Amino acid sequence: MGVEPSEASGRSLWPRWVRGPQEFAGGLTLMAIALLALWAARDLSSMRGFSPGAGTVPRLTAGVLLALGAVVTALGVFVKGPRSARSAWRGPLFVGLAILAFAVSIQPLGLPLAAFLSFMIAALATKETRWGQTTLAGLCLAGVCSLLFPFVLRLPLPLLPRFLMP
Amino acid sequence: MADLISNLALGFGVAFTPVNLLFCLIGALVGTLVGVLPGIGTVATVAMLLPITFGLPPVGALIMLAGIYYGAQYGGSTTSILVNIPGEATSVVTTLDGFQMAQQGRAGPALAIAAIGSFVAGCVATVLIAVLGGPLTKLAQAFGPAEYFSLMVLGLVFAVVLAKGSVLKAIAMIVLGLLLSMVGSDVETGAARMSFGVPDLADGFGFAIVAMGVFGFAEIIRNLDPGTDVNRSLVQRPVTGLMPTRKDLVDAAPAIGRGTALGAILGILPGGGAVIASFAAYTLEKKIARVPSRFGRGAIEGVAAPESANNAAAQTSFIPLLTLGIPPNAVMALMVGAMTIHGIVPGPMVLQNQPELVWGMIASMWIGNVMLLIINLPLVGIWVRLLRVPYRLLFPAIVVLCAIGIYSINNSPVDVVLAGGFGLLGYWLIKQDFEPAPMLLGLVLGPLMEENLRRALMIARGDATVFVTRPLSASLLAVALLLLILAILPSLRRKRDEVFVEPKD
Repeated sequence: MGVEPSEASGRSLWPRWVRGPQEFAGGLTLMAIALLALWAARDLSSMRGFSPGAGTVPRLTAGVLLALGAVVTALGVFVKGPRSARSAWRGPLFVGLAILAFAVSIQPLGLPLAAFLSFMIAALATKETRWGQTTLAGLCLAGVCSLLFPFVLRLPLPLLPRFLMP
Repeated sequence: MADLISNLALGFGVAFTPVNLLFCLIGALVGTLVGVLPGIGTVATVAMLLPITFGLPPVGALIMLAGIYYGAQYGGSTTSILVNIPGEATSVVTTLDGFQMAQQGRAGPALAIAAIGSFVAGCVATVLIAVLGGPLTKLAQAFGPAEYFSLMVLGLVFAVVLAKGSVLKAIAMIVLGLLLSMVGSDVETGAARMSFGVPDLADGFGFAIVAMGVFGFAEIIRNLDPGTDVNRSLVQRPVTGLMPTRKDLVDAAPAIGRGTALGAILGILPGGGAVIASFAAYTLEKKIARVPSRFGRGAIEGVAAPESANNAAAQTSFIPLLTLGIPPNAVMALMVGAMTIHGIVPGPMVLQNQPELVWGMIASMWIGNVMLLIINLPLVGIWVRLLRVPYRLLFPAIVVLCAIGIYSINNSPVDVVLAGGFGLLGYWLIKQDFEPAPMLLGLVLGPLMEENLRRALMIARGDATVFVTRPLSASLLAVALLLLILAILPSLRRKRDEVFVEPKD
């Protein structure tokens, strides 16, 4: 599976001296995460006598990750590598929004509405969506979920919007 | 030996109760369904169904989750053979010869051999778990914190060696996983670490959340990218003549044997698991075949070996979990979650304190394999029809189901947002050719490793040489080092990469 990176077309995001864009981008991501972790762990205690404190192992790990990220980034500068495979903005954007919509609406709106809303937003992620069919499928899914989770599986999920609750 | 038989008898006694038979059947069916549907993997499903098991009795919950895991290995092969779409990563190599056989009108024998191979592998693996369970548990009791730490280092090194692509990137992903595991309260002091003051992070990233993000959401987003359209041209020809000929059976038997053996070994190793087992088994068959060119053109060994291997590996990966308490792959890590919810701490003590739980689950695997053999072949038509559901309708449904699954673990909307965040991060990293699997293993083993590291240092009064002065720990670390060196050696790397290259003709 996966796309051949070579077929990626269009201009690279990076300046010309970056020879391996995948390594470069990935390495930078790792370094950013490591720096964030080092910053977040700045107040944690370090070694106390023989015993490592709460911050020792996280700082050590973040340091190793930072170093590894730096090596991967450097490889991206000096070694010719494949470009990142082409990606569309639609997928990440609308799937992300659909997840967010579910998270925001499940408590105030209840399961059926949240599920339907999230389904319809997710459907925007592809151009192939046919709206009539999708709406019908979304209604069915919302219905099935509302029966399956609260009743059959007895999970405590709200069914009605909060403003309709007695 | 007498022990073994009495243990298995106990297990079958537990597994043969009507309720547990039902859970086993449900698990096997759901697993097959998941295996058939591409775009939703085993990890995401088990994570999604975790909340459902809250209300079940512990034995039933574990039997069902185990059923999903090996059922998915089965279902994946069906679609590989009939439609050239691997439903699971473990069945990717099965498409090579399986689909060719189907096009030659031999879909029936291909399906039957895949089922028989899986069944044989399942039986062998079940006995193996039963045989190795006792001795390994005894060994585990000789383990101190230093040994546990070294064993987990070895496990992570295995994950690096067995991951595909760059060794450096695999190591980086493991370290990232370890780092993520440290978010949340400290084991010893209880101090909140790197939680950015967010109360939902005080307990750390739930494993199910990260797993759902990088294996559920990220996978969906990746499938939506241009150029990854799933080709859904079905084999329209009806499946006739299910039974393989005598020649098929004779050809396939040794391949099933080799696949089972290889899969069983790779399943036990941490970081290995079913995916690598199926690739390795296929490569082995091709290497030792007298006429290697037959492969890719409908060789029955090319179906029998990987299908046996992935099933054997799926089952033997329970061994480290049940005996040492170390989950060797992501699905097993979720099983830890399921056990913890029911107040069971996986490890050597489970086998002693709750034998009916462990042996019941082991026995249920055998029963589940029989069920799969019986239900799968007649149901092939239904599974194929399911594939006609277009992806444009399927993926929003999967997104919603995943979201409901995560939400219901803690009734927390923040968890859903976090999973979405991990989905985007996972997607980005996959795009840069980083594998998410080693990261998950790091996340799983991280807390156990840190705890044992700190405990070992404390017992040794801060003397870090304790890891190399205790013989058992030292030898585990030596093996790990040796493996790492071998993985970096160019000649071996080429061999390793060969295993992952899908042969094209």
